[in-house]
Amino acid sequence: MNSLIWLPFLPLLGTLIPLISNRLSRTECAFLTAVLPALTLVLILINAGNIVQGERFQAAIPWIPSIGLELAFRLDGLALLFSILILGIGLLVILYARYYLSDKDPMGKFYAYLMLFMFAMLGVVLSDNLIQLWFFWELTSISSFLLISFWGHKTEARKGARMALTVTGAGGLALLAGLLILGDTVGSFSLQTVLDSGDLIKASTSYPVIVVLVLLGAFTKSAQFPFHFWLPNAMAAPTPVSAYLHSATMVKAGIFLMARFYPALADTDLWFLIVSLTGLATFLMGAYIALFQHDLKGLLANSTISHLGLITLLLGMGTDLAAVAAIFHIINHAIFKASLFMAAGIIDHESGSRDMRQLNGLWKYMPYTATLAMVASASMAGVPLMNGFLSKEMFFTETLHQASLGSLSWLIPVLATLGGVFAVAYSMRFIHDVFFNGEPINLPKTPHEPPRYMRVPVEILVALCLLVGIFPSYMVGDLLFSAASATLNSTPPSYSLAIWHGFNLPLLMSIIALIGGLIMYQNRPHLFKFQAQFPKSDPKLVFEGVVQSLASAANRFISFTENGSLQRYTFFTLLLAVIMTAASLMKLNATAGQRPEIPVDAVSITAAVLLSISALATVLWHRRRVVALITLSVVGLIVSLAFAQFSAPDLALTQLSVEVVTVILLILALFFLPQKTPKESSPRRVVRDLSLASLIGGVVGTICYALMTRPLDTISTFFTENSKTGGGGTNVVNVILVDFRGFDTLGEITVLGIAALGIYKLIARMRLFMPSSNDRGLAWSEDKNPILLAVISQSLLPLALLVSAYIFLRGHNMPGGGFIAGLITSVAIIQQYVGHGVEWIKTRVKLDYQIMIGSGIGIATLSGLGSWTFGHTFLSSWFDYFYLPVIGKFELASAMIFDLGVFLTVVGATMLILANLGQLTTSERPIQKEND
Amino acid sequence: MQHLSIFPILIPLLFGAIMLLPPISRDISSQRISSIVGTLFLLASSAVLLFKVDNEGVQLYALGGWQAPFGIALVADRISSLLVLLTSFLAFAVMLYSISGKDKGGAYFHPLFMFQIMGINGAFLTGDIFNLFVFFEVLLIASYALLIHAGGKQKTQAAMHYVILNLVGSSLFLFGLGILYGTLGTLNMADMAIKVGQLEGETATLAKTGALLLLVVFGLKAAMLPMHFWLPKTYASASAPVAALFAIMTKVGIYSIFRVYTVIFGEHAGELANIATPWLWPLALLTILIGSIGVFASPNIRTMSANLVIVSSGSLLACAAINSEAATSAAFYYMVHSTLASAGLFLLADVMARQRGKAEDRFVHSRLFVQPRLLGVAFAISALALIGMPPLSGFVGKIMILQATQSTAQTMWVWPLILIGSLAALVTFSRAGTTLFWRHNGSASSDAEPAKANEIVGIGLLLLASPILVLFGGEISEFTQQAAHYLHDIQSSAYDLLPGVTQ
Amino acid sequence: MEGLYAFCVGLLTACGIFLTLRGRSFSVVMGLTLLSYAVNLFLFASGRLKLNAAAVLGQSEQYSDPLPQALVLTAIVIGFAMTAFAVILAMRARADLGNDHVDGVLPAQPGDPTYKSGGHH
Repeated sequence: MNSLIWLPFLPLLGTLIPLISNRLSRTECAFLTAVLPALTLVLILINAGNIVQGERFQAAIPWIPSIGLELAFRLDGLALLFSILILGIGLLVILYARYYLSDKDPMGKFYAYLMLFMFAMLGVVLSDNLIQLWFFWELTSISSFLLISFWGHKTEARKGARMALTVTGAGGLALLAGLLILGDTVGSFSLQTVLDSGDLIKASTSYPVIVVLVLLGAFTKSAQFPFHFWLPNAMAAPTPVSAYLHSATMVKAGIFLMARFYPALADTDLWFLIVSLTGLATFLMGAYIALFQHDLKGLLANSTISHLGLITLLLGMGTDLAAVAAIFHIINHAIFKASLFMAAGIIDHESGSRDMRQLNGLWKYMPYTATLAMVASASMAGVPLMNGFLSKEMFFTETLHQASLGSLSWLIPVLATLGGVFAVAYSMRFIHDVFFNGEPINLPKTPHEPPRYMRVPVEILVALCLLVGIFPSYMVGDLLFSAASATLNSTPPSYSLAIWHGFNLPLLMSIIALIGGLIMYQNRPHLFKFQAQFPKSDPKLVFEGVVQSLASAANRFISFTENGSLQRYTFFTLLLAVIMTAASLMKLNATAGQRPEIPVDAVSITAAVLLSISALATVLWHRRRVVALITLSVVGLIVSLAFAQFSAPDLALTQLSVEVVTVILLILALFFLPQKTPKESSPRRVVRDLSLASLIGGVVGTICYALMTRPLDTISTFFTENSKTGGGGTNVVNVILVDFRGFDTLGEITVLGIAALGIYKLIARMRLFMPSSNDRGLAWSEDKNPILLAVISQSLLPLALLVSAYIFLRGHNMPGGGFIAGLITSVAIIQQYVGHGVEWIKTRVKLDYQIMIGSGIGIATLSGLGSWTFGHTFLSSWFDYFYLPVIGKFELASAMIFDLGVFLTVVGATMLILANLGQLTTSERPIQKEND
Repeated sequence: MQHLSIFPILIPLLFGAIMLLPPISRDISSQRISSIVGTLFLLASSAVLLFKVDNEGVQLYALGGWQAPFGIALVADRISSLLVLLTSFLAFAVMLYSISGKDKGGAYFHPLFMFQIMGINGAFLTGDIFNLFVFFEVLLIASYALLIHAGGKQKTQAAMHYVILNLVGSSLFLFGLGILYGTLGTLNMADMAIKVGQLEGETATLAKTGALLLLVVFGLKAAMLPMHFWLPKTYASASAPVAALFAIMTKVGIYSIFRVYTVIFGEHAGELANIATPWLWPLALLTILIGSIGVFASPNIRTMSANLVIVSSGSLLACAAINSEAATSAAFYYMVHSTLASAGLFLLADVMARQRGKAEDRFVHSRLFVQPRLLGVAFAISALALIGMPPLSGFVGKIMILQATQSTAQTMWVWPLILIGSLAALVTFSRAGTTLFWRHNGSASSDAEPAKANEIVGIGLLLLASPILVLFGGEISEFTQQAAHYLHDIQSSAYDLLPGVTQ
Repeated sequence: MEGLYAFCVGLLTACGIFLTLRGRSFSVVMGLTLLSYAVNLFLFASGRLKLNAAAVLGQSEQYSDPLPQALVLTAIVIGFAMTAFAVILAMRARADLGNDHVDGVLPAQPGDPTYKSGGHH
């Protein structure tokens, strides 16, 4: 039956129809919506015959094997029963809602949500794969959220919907965990495999965990104690929704889950204890609370909770007959409770109230509806000739055969009877309080019978109550049998669906329940008085309160940890770093290695001392910024000397030129920043930071020393060997930069370019903070450009440019290269700015630094792309030697073009930064371009 | 097409450079056009690259013709090409969103955007650890500049923290690199992976310190506790497209962790095998925890999305800690999902904020949206995806992670944290949604501007990815499994990348 | 010599870290600069120290390791770019936020009523 694969998707397709047919009349919209579910129902009923014969349809196609999810459906007795409930009652609800919804309500939206839910629910009951089951399980939570919050402008609708979603969602997560462990234990997520390996599961160590997690899912969904509180609050939903989700289908999903996994998980002491005791508690509590509700729907909701408890209790008992009784009661409860909700809806709809303190004596106004409601509630009470009586009779019988509580087993039948008493009492109240008991008290509108077709669904359901009640085996015998055998995964024991089993204990219990219920209803005033003593607590408020307080607690925690102090964040980062490194460094036995050390000479010592002093001075005087800046630059100077000494001329040159530019930059910046830093670190913080800093310094120093004193063979020999032959240069460092690792350099100049752009962004929008004087109150000199400087710098310019050209050209073979050349050029240009001022330059030098950056990066990239034409990879270099008169033999290399790109980018970036920064004080200050 | 694997780096680089030159640099409309064209090229070439890698195996690109380990090599394997495609797709969608005004309010948005993409793609593709540093710097400096785009006190202040923290991070990176070069004498990751196995005694100990320093650096990028503080404020204050683009940035850190601690310091690293695991476990779990608390405490959508990014980082770090093929596969599926979903939410938050006047995107009673239907559907989609509820991609990723962590000793820690995290997201999203869409007074405001077509398409592309990830979940997860297998197999992920070196 | 060198690196690192942990942007920038000096020296030293061995072919009989030098060169340039950005950002922050504290707000001083709360905002 491959049609089974697409069968469940018909309702999903159905979600579109109401959205489209929304424009048509309400009746047409409802009718069209009903088409696809009806079709689905027919298709299922066609196969019902074979299934009842014990056949089982399965169909699967792979979906996401890696998580064990496959699109797998099965249609067996249990699935058949639930599908009929879902689709059948669904159709009735569609008809009912057509008349229930007012013109203001968006009908298409409502039906769409309803179809979505139907799809999800159908998916749950037809699933043949654990993950897929969970998939649809969550979909029911989502769609029911949408349905409960259909009137989202009402507070109670929003709150009720959120509560339902939270509780069922939490249960869903537990269920997921349970199913994952279950699938892992069995080794497969296919339902059939799981059902067949019950013994293996029960034997495994993870069985208790599985049971608890799966049951958490079931109990939350089926509103079992202590998770029952969401259901009454879900009554904010439109009544058709309550009739559909909260009586017939969704709340039954938890029950279905327990029935579905019955062969795999049930029939152990753990199962019995948890399930039956929870069921019993829910059964009694629901019945008791129901009696005291004044809201019609509230009464029905609590009665639903109670009946779900009853079914749960039956499933917990572990005997096969109990399971049969449970299935039977699922059918019966669905029928009578749905009809009762619809009746309540009619009453609400036609009288404008659901409050039983106002609703009285409606018999006069709507006798027809009253009759229907009375029959249904009689069935709810378990009056003979009604279907409710039969399953309750079976229930009583089973409680008697229950011995699992040992000497206390007598408690179960007694409590069951007590629950029955309450059930009769609240059913009585539903009848007597509403339809008799005097006159209505100031109702919004005078009650009257509903439109003809709004009653039809109720009529059908009530008829079923009677038919099933009188001819049970004829009506549902086969269905029940196949469902039961599917649940038990075996043939159920023999049972009789007769109305009359002769005078026996169960019958006596029923009679006690009936009489006791009537008596209790008679004396309800005393009960109500007693109940009134308890303080009222609205679970909605409690729940919201809990969520609120949790949220504010979380808020306090977050604002405590993320207190917006960078110093803290940096501290944590560095702390983690030092912990990690120090932890492993302790395993280092000897700091020093075998590599021979270079002897210390006087020069180095003096340099080191000078370095240390100026570094410490920078720290000590860091609050006097200008001084600190000077000492800082001394450090930089010595660092470059160090490079020079340890045979890294390129580094020395670069460090030096960068140093110059950096200092210029910092001085310029200092003009716009305070000249002094206030003393604000608390002594504790100073000590804390000092200890961390020195700890890190120690670690770094140790590692550095340990590294230097150990021998190492690197890949570098390759570079020295291939520098000349492969790279065409004798300065290995430069060849590495422009050839072996030219890609790094390309990234490096990109960084420089981006930085320049970013800095332009920063400057261009800066609201200036322009000091007229320095911190000592001395005004800044007015004449910006001393003439002497102007002359010198102007005469120096050509020289500087010449030097940089030389540095650039020789770079490939001697220390130098595009980068250093670029920096020297920029320094030279800056001199002109300092010497002559911005305006003077602007008129003479036409340089768009942005274009320089762009073209620089562009040229560098293109020089790399050139090699593609020769079929080489990006940045493959080419070089050759030429001879020209006068100049003599010289070399041309593609690397030089690359270096030219570097040069341009460096000049462009440096100038874009410094020039704009310098211009801030002048009339030439940059303003945003057109595109902002 | 032998050069295919460098296209994802060169295309944005060239487009970025060209946009600085006239005539394109002159007016924004031509910049917009070239940005769209560029990202489209990028998308196409990344798709082709992925296809090629999937069929012909890893693509090795030796820059300058210098073979590894001596030259820099780009390694386009399944994982890197997948993430490059992810980046390109994200870039296209976000750029589509930006071109109707979000790119104004500051110069150079388009070139910077391109350079940022170049940095990210480079970090994914490079097989050389120092080159990785360079590309980290490229994407960082670009992100600094983009963060302050469109100005404002908040942005400046957030940028201050973000920049300084990352500068400290870069210094640590260089210390770590120095140590690793000083002990291994090489920079090519495959070569390092092989050489590490031969280290022993004190040298191994030294190398370990370097490796752990790198973990701190990558952790800072990935917002691993206790280095996550910068993220919420930075992401929440960045302008929408930038925040959406940043959604991939934490993933760069995560990716580097997988690359370095699976290939170099993985099972085959001798004395240094799996050194990251003992540190990653607790930090990952705490990251999930604090992220979930942050989600629960969020006052507005942007902060919530930022905290969701932290949660996803935590989950991914947990996968990295397990260091098994299943976990890696799960991580990369989840990475694709969470990147696109959170990026979509960042953009959506911007549109919603623009329609709610002063209330912006805060969870407070306000006026009605101009486009309630559209925004409602979009919000619902991203909510389901990010909570991890069926039918959207989040649940697949979640299940993959749960299954990957199932057989480990830490299960009883990981599972509750991940599940409770989802619950926190569920509660927060349901409260947010009901408040934002149903607690409104009367009509929409007149001055509110409806989302423009290009913005809707941009968001739509990002959100649409989620159902597609589920529909084709089978194929995609199979792909990630192969990718994970490749990464964990030293032969393929190291020896095969070095011509002439055999195990 | 190595010991002396390592000591200097350690000292520079310590000074740099301490200044980086200060509260005012300019101190932090100076700290980062010091730190970058230390980093460059450290990275350079990973190729071991050699005297009179410039990696220029034909200039000396034995060569120092050129690769770390190239790396440091890249690091210097990138460091310069980053420092530049940071310092301008500091200026911008001063202009936007009215003070030069890295958090954009001045911490509560002793005597302030808000002192206990340690400068939350």
